[in-house]
Amino acid sequence: MGKSLSHNEFNVLLGALAKDYNIYAPARFEKQGRFSDTDIIRYRQVSQVEEIVWQAKSTYSPKEVVMPVTQTLFYFTQTEYREPETDTRPCLVFLRACDINGFASLDKIYLENGGTEDIYYKRLREKVKFILIECHTSFDNCFCVSMGANTTDNYSMAVRFGEENIQLELKDEQLAGYLDNIGQGNDFKPQFIQENKIKVNVPSVAEMPDWIYNDQMWKQYDHRCIACGRCNTTCVTCSCYTALDVLYDDNCQVGERRRVWASCHIDGFTDMAGGHGFRKENGARMRFKVFHKIYDFNKRFGKHMCVGCGRCDDNCPEYISYSNCINILNDRLKEGEKASV
Amino acid sequence: MTLDLDRKKVVKNNWRVTKVRGKSALRIRIPGGHMSAKHFDLIRQIAENYGNGTVHITTRQGFELPEIPYEKIPEVNRMLYPLLQDLELAIGVQIDKPENGYPAAGTRNVAACIGNRVCPFANFDTTVLAKKIEKEIYPNDLHVKIAVTGCPNDCIKARMHDYGVIGVAEPVYDYERCIGCQACVKNCKKKVTGALAMHNGKVVRDERLCIGCGECVLQCPTSAWTRNPEKYFNLTIMGRTGKKNPRIGELFVQWATADVVVAIIKNTYKYAEKYIDKTLVKEHIGYIVDRTGYQVFRDAVLDGIELNPKARVAKHIQWGGHFYASDIFMTDQSAK
Amino acid sequence: MCNNHLKPRPYRLLSIKKESFTECTFRLECDHTPVIGQFYEVSLPRVGEMPISISGIGSGWLDMTIRAVGHVSTAVHTLKPGDNIFLRGPYGNGFPMAEMEGKHIIIAAGGCGVSPIRPIIEHFYNHPEKITAMDLLFGFKDPSLVLFNQDIDRWKEKFNTIITVDQSCSTWEGKNVGLITEYVKQVKIPDFQNMEVIIVGPPIMMKFTAQEFIKHGVASERIIVSMERRMSCGVGKCGHCKVGDKYVCLDGPVFRYDQAQLLID
Repeated sequence: MGKSLSHNEFNVLLGALAKDYNIYAPARFEKQGRFSDTDIIRYRQVSQVEEIVWQAKSTYSPKEVVMPVTQTLFYFTQTEYREPETDTRPCLVFLRACDINGFASLDKIYLENGGTEDIYYKRLREKVKFILIECHTSFDNCFCVSMGANTTDNYSMAVRFGEENIQLELKDEQLAGYLDNIGQGNDFKPQFIQENKIKVNVPSVAEMPDWIYNDQMWKQYDHRCIACGRCNTTCVTCSCYTALDVLYDDNCQVGERRRVWASCHIDGFTDMAGGHGFRKENGARMRFKVFHKIYDFNKRFGKHMCVGCGRCDDNCPEYISYSNCINILNDRLKEGEKASV
Repeated sequence: MTLDLDRKKVVKNNWRVTKVRGKSALRIRIPGGHMSAKHFDLIRQIAENYGNGTVHITTRQGFELPEIPYEKIPEVNRMLYPLLQDLELAIGVQIDKPENGYPAAGTRNVAACIGNRVCPFANFDTTVLAKKIEKEIYPNDLHVKIAVTGCPNDCIKARMHDYGVIGVAEPVYDYERCIGCQACVKNCKKKVTGALAMHNGKVVRDERLCIGCGECVLQCPTSAWTRNPEKYFNLTIMGRTGKKNPRIGELFVQWATADVVVAIIKNTYKYAEKYIDKTLVKEHIGYIVDRTGYQVFRDAVLDGIELNPKARVAKHIQWGGHFYASDIFMTDQSAK
Repeated sequence: MCNNHLKPRPYRLLSIKKESFTECTFRLECDHTPVIGQFYEVSLPRVGEMPISISGIGSGWLDMTIRAVGHVSTAVHTLKPGDNIFLRGPYGNGFPMAEMEGKHIIIAAGGCGVSPIRPIIEHFYNHPEKITAMDLLFGFKDPSLVLFNQDIDRWKEKFNTIITVDQSCSTWEGKNVGLITEYVKQVKIPDFQNMEVIIVGPPIMMKFTAQEFIKHGVASERIIVSMERRMSCGVGKCGHCKVGDKYVCLDGPVFRYDQAQLLID
């Protein structure tokens, strides 16, 4: 079912939905950018269409809705662990096709890997319904088409935002009631981006040859990468976390175990008790990330982790292009071992 | 005809009396150090048609055009109108007869670093504030030098000025967004004052050590650190070069708003009017403060100003600087 | 709520035995039997978690030998018998005990690496009929860090045992000094088919010892290693122990060396 709504009608719809759902969308955080007087776009709860930034790509991904940066696992006293309560209200998340496909990557890790489900992720994840934001144009650094993540049918509703009005497609019958008396019926279906300016050739090798791990192509990243971790924090599919226990300052007998996002680029990611760690060079970390995104994960789950949202390239302060790195890798593999010497 | 000049009038008109007999040099102010590139055409025309075809870029972010004959001053002043219009009148500077060129030279061009139009470190648009200050204090004969800088790196050397306006950012911390990567902590320790430390996997900020440079915001990969959108400034005073006692300016007001900074600078002229040594041809503001003492200066320039709540004012200033002789400020009883 | 894999369970601490200056063996009351080579996440509320392998298994108990190196292990050392210790696990795949049967077993262990292979030795000590022979090769940094002295004395009676220390001192009663790799050639291998080499120790030691055995004619698929990585969640979510397409906490820590070789950090 399709509908055409004015912005006012859409706000009425959001108002009705808000009675039963927490509604998350990319929103502008004014003057909260890295540089003074610049903005960032990230996810938060919204109530009006005017708050939703549909004209630009969000700086940070919607994974924050199901993977909070900081998440309490347990509260504890000296001898007892207690799980925190979770908000049980269902959520609607406005997001693009690449990000919807990104959630599928997160699901693989948190709900499938090792045959166990992460209960904290699951509780938040199963509350979420997707509202697809149709992409009008491909943004800078997007390469969703190359990753096959430009399309999806995994959404409850699809929305085409426009200055004049908003077209939507409803797929989820549970939401039908909210649309009963709003807007004009039509047969709207969302379009998907068919071509990006950036094209990535993901290597299609069954096994990475040994030599590529130490190939000189990674060396440039030793000095170019500053191990800041922005490529990981803005990525919709990066799922790693670090757990730690904290004690409350006023009473150090009680505290909590929490987890925070971890980054495979940042120092200490592989460090063990006693201080020994792996991948000291930033180039090795780049290789580890790239392989995870377009090779290792695929070997394990039969799907590439990366969805080509391009946020890593949008946000790298050192202008390292991950997408170009994949292309370099592909070329190296084609040239073969000889070229590496 | 032999030249018969009112030398002081020439100087006040922003022309220099040079070592070359018969030749002056035109000085052009560029408030905030930023202007449209179109003005280069006029500057070039004047330099080539009236001067020696060269232009000096001054330390105060102006242009100086040497070897223009004194008799051409009125003619060149008339040509300057588009520059005065765009760089002075358009920002609200009051000039009675712009066709006569610059009305004063004592209060110098307000200089500014490139600011956040370009620089990633800058906490604000320095040119905008420099122009705002220019509007309030120019034209004026009092010898005052002011510079505006985007962050405590102080590339414009604001601390070498009578008034140094240093843009600072109040870092705002989102505890939940911090991943404890320590990028800000390590950077602050290495490059700044070590105002940040880790506690329970998160960051704590020592407000007394924080100088508001905004580096933590630049470092943060999750936007856990952001800048308070309210702009704050540190105002340093009475830095100077000069022969007698060159010194770095000292912190006068911390975390002040732009309005407070501008009001203080404006008030300075009332203070100077009252205390200036009128027996001298000119007296530099810094030496007036040397005579009256900091507290008199402070009370005068803060008079009637309602400080923003966050602002902090120096109770006392321990002046430093270089002394060539230990008795440099000693005077005989005969000299009043 | 019931399915929270991150929630630890309390185990009663039965006894603590000092092994060296920095190492103690903690014996816990345990209602299940892990596979030899698996590990647990020791989880102390208020301190944190760390992966620890099993250094002994008995009926109703298990041993963990822990060196005080990090903040969690240091905190464990403050516990007393009767206290509760919180654990999650067991995790990982363990050693292929059945595949070792009927074969010549060679074990090379360096430092703390002796802990996870101790139950293998004990198992075949009690069932020597299940294997054809066993050679033990132990390397420690210095004499003060030699672990399981009494056990080793006992094992010596049944198995060819070589102990070496990297740095000797006046109290060293043994005759061997130097890296464990130097003693690999002393192990006699009559049949390169019917044998297994098990190597456990620090990453560098495992790499060079494996290379040494390969040099002597052992096929890499006959070598078994237990990889040390930062296993943190133990359930393949946190990502810290991922190498290549493997999660050491899920697919390891025990790997055949031909597989482990392919996992490049």
